[in-house]
Amino acid sequence: MTILNEPSAAPTTTPETPKQVRRSHMGRTVVKWVTSTDHKTIGYLYLIQSFFFFVLAGAMALVMRAELAVPGMQIVSLEQYNQLFTMHGTIMLFLFATPLFVGFGNVIMPLQIGAPDVAFPRLNMLGFWLFFFGGMTVALSFFTPGGAASFGWFAYQPLSNAVNSPAVGADLWLLGLAMGGLGTILGAVNFITTIFCMRCPGMTMFRMPVFTWTVFITSVLVLIAFPILAAALVVAFIDRKFGAVVFEADNGGAILWQHLFWFFGHPEVYILALPFFGIASEIIPVFSRKPIFGYKGLVFATMAIGALSVAVWAHHMYVTGSVYLPFFALMTMLIAVPTGVKFFNWIGTMWRGSISFETPMLWTMGFLVTFLFGGLTGIILSAPPLDFHVSDSYFVVAHFHYTVFGTIVFLWFAGLYFWWPKMTGRMLNEKLGHIHFWLVFIGFQVTFLIQHWLGVQGMPRRYGDYLASDDFTTLNTVSTIGSFIVGFSTVFFVWNVILTWKTAPKVTVDDPWGWGGSLEWATSCPPPRHNFTSLPRIRSERPAFDLHHPELSDVSQQPVAAAPSGSSS
Amino acid sequence: MKIGGFLFALGALFYFLVAGVYFYFSKDEIGTTALVMTGGLAALVAFYMLYTDKRLDAMPEDRANAEIDEADPEYGFYSPHSWWPLPVGFAAMLIALGFTFAAWLVILGMGVLMFSVIGWLFEYYRGSFAR
Repeated sequence: MTILNEPSAAPTTTPETPKQVRRSHMGRTVVKWVTSTDHKTIGYLYLIQSFFFFVLAGAMALVMRAELAVPGMQIVSLEQYNQLFTMHGTIMLFLFATPLFVGFGNVIMPLQIGAPDVAFPRLNMLGFWLFFFGGMTVALSFFTPGGAASFGWFAYQPLSNAVNSPAVGADLWLLGLAMGGLGTILGAVNFITTIFCMRCPGMTMFRMPVFTWTVFITSVLVLIAFPILAAALVVAFIDRKFGAVVFEADNGGAILWQHLFWFFGHPEVYILALPFFGIASEIIPVFSRKPIFGYKGLVFATMAIGALSVAVWAHHMYVTGSVYLPFFALMTMLIAVPTGVKFFNWIGTMWRGSISFETPMLWTMGFLVTFLFGGLTGIILSAPPLDFHVSDSYFVVAHFHYTVFGTIVFLWFAGLYFWWPKMTGRMLNEKLGHIHFWLVFIGFQVTFLIQHWLGVQGMPRRYGDYLASDDFTTLNTVSTIGSFIVGFSTVFFVWNVILTWKTAPKVTVDDPWGWGGSLEWATSCPPPRHNFTSLPRIRSERPAFDLHHPELSDVSQQPVAAAPSGSSS
Repeated sequence: MKIGGFLFALGALFYFLVAGVYFYFSKDEIGTTALVMTGGLAALVAFYMLYTDKRLDAMPEDRANAEIDEADPEYGFYSPHSWWPLPVGFAAMLIALGFTFAAWLVILGMGVLMFSVIGWLFEYYRGSFAR
């Protein structure tokens, strides 16, 4: 059966479309992209835009590392340094990592559940434009008099109020992020509706791929967390502009802001992490040639992380002295348990599998190692007596870079290399991919491992300078060298993309990796406008595997009329 | 839909429980309020989904033995492409810039917003795409 019962108005499903596109000129392509309501195109827009922001914020990080390489101020002033670390954090979290989740969710999730599009295509595009314009409002605030916001990405009150941060950049920061947050909420509503209402027949909730599960749980977390952020940002703006006194320090507003911000902020880091855990759960079975080990355990672990992540926010506030420590210490240690279950499942999947190390698998291994380190230092930080010693030091910087860089950047590239043939119809070059991986992996460890010791020795975060007599110089110089290796690695990725765009042969099979399980490997590369010309029968978590390897599967495809062309190796 | 409803109901139960425990120990109003509201959010979605599920037959996507042909052949209308999300997003930026820099930008932004929301709403009621 075909699910392409197009209304007569939709003009873009005839097979001649690719040729027409090739003949059309630049302007028409731009119009096609900016007016698109295709979930895949919108997903690509998100991915491209977040890569742009990754490069921008990465460049800021390199300027900061260059400044810190030796004592003394060589490159930027202290105020500029404040703006740089504020915008580095803001862009990486709100304009790189969060949209990356929406981007991957948009491109892959509807394919995995056999849907022709997302539930609200125009709302989806509005979400992108809100993110785009909100992001531009934040990023371009560098060009206002007084420069960009400089109060750190969590904008603690009263530092960020009108008296202490009078520059207009702070206003733009608040409103731009509120816009971007609104866009993310719209995206989450869209994802939840799509997952509940548009799965193809036979795709029960507990047959959905793990990535789709993580997109669902993440979207629920977005609905919980982002409205609080948007409200807090708008109220802070009203405080600044119209003299409301909600976050006035005299009324306890400083602690109120921290509570509200971290009630958003902690679910936010799981919003960033969970979908990327989902990507790891998609990649490991394919390159281990085994089904995922403990599918339901993995799904329940995801739910447990989602639920618990809402109850741990104040572990960011231990040093305020006004939160109830035992509750948050217990909850924070508790959340390590489902995360450990996930590790157990991933290792169980690889155990006695026939593993091969293509680039996506290599990146996933890099993630496992790096994120494990970050998780372990997280347990150290969850204990208040230990946290008091290293709070706001480079130990914390190292910890969260191990978790968020380890998860997001490693699995972002894993996902890109993995789904690149599905998105573009061309494979990325394996050799360049390997070089890219090893440069990032080595550069990353050199940059951040050493920062644990810096923190323990007492170097505080967010300081633009230190004294030669502090004895921080060697560690900082090594860290700076590592960061430039990471920066240099991006050249290989861009080179890889350009090279394969020009020279790589077209992928003609549905599943170029050969052992793909979820439904996106049962359609062409790239998929047609509404994703499928025919769907296989859904009888397990791995419908595409059942379709391509009938000799290994007990699911009969018999009643399906025309199986998609080209089963692979 | 039933599983989805149960998931949200479980979430509501968990958040109310945590809110109770948290308030008992910490006496912190801010966190308790946030947890109770989170539970309320989950309860609202759970109520809607379980209520809707009761009034529907088992959907083919919720039955383990469903065939692809059982999906509704009239799958719905998907906007093929649309100009309107762009001006709506742009109007939001105009309003944000207006609140920061000058009031007249807010008025301009409101105008663009009205125009583009109306255009969005009536896009498929007029012209060559009317249906």
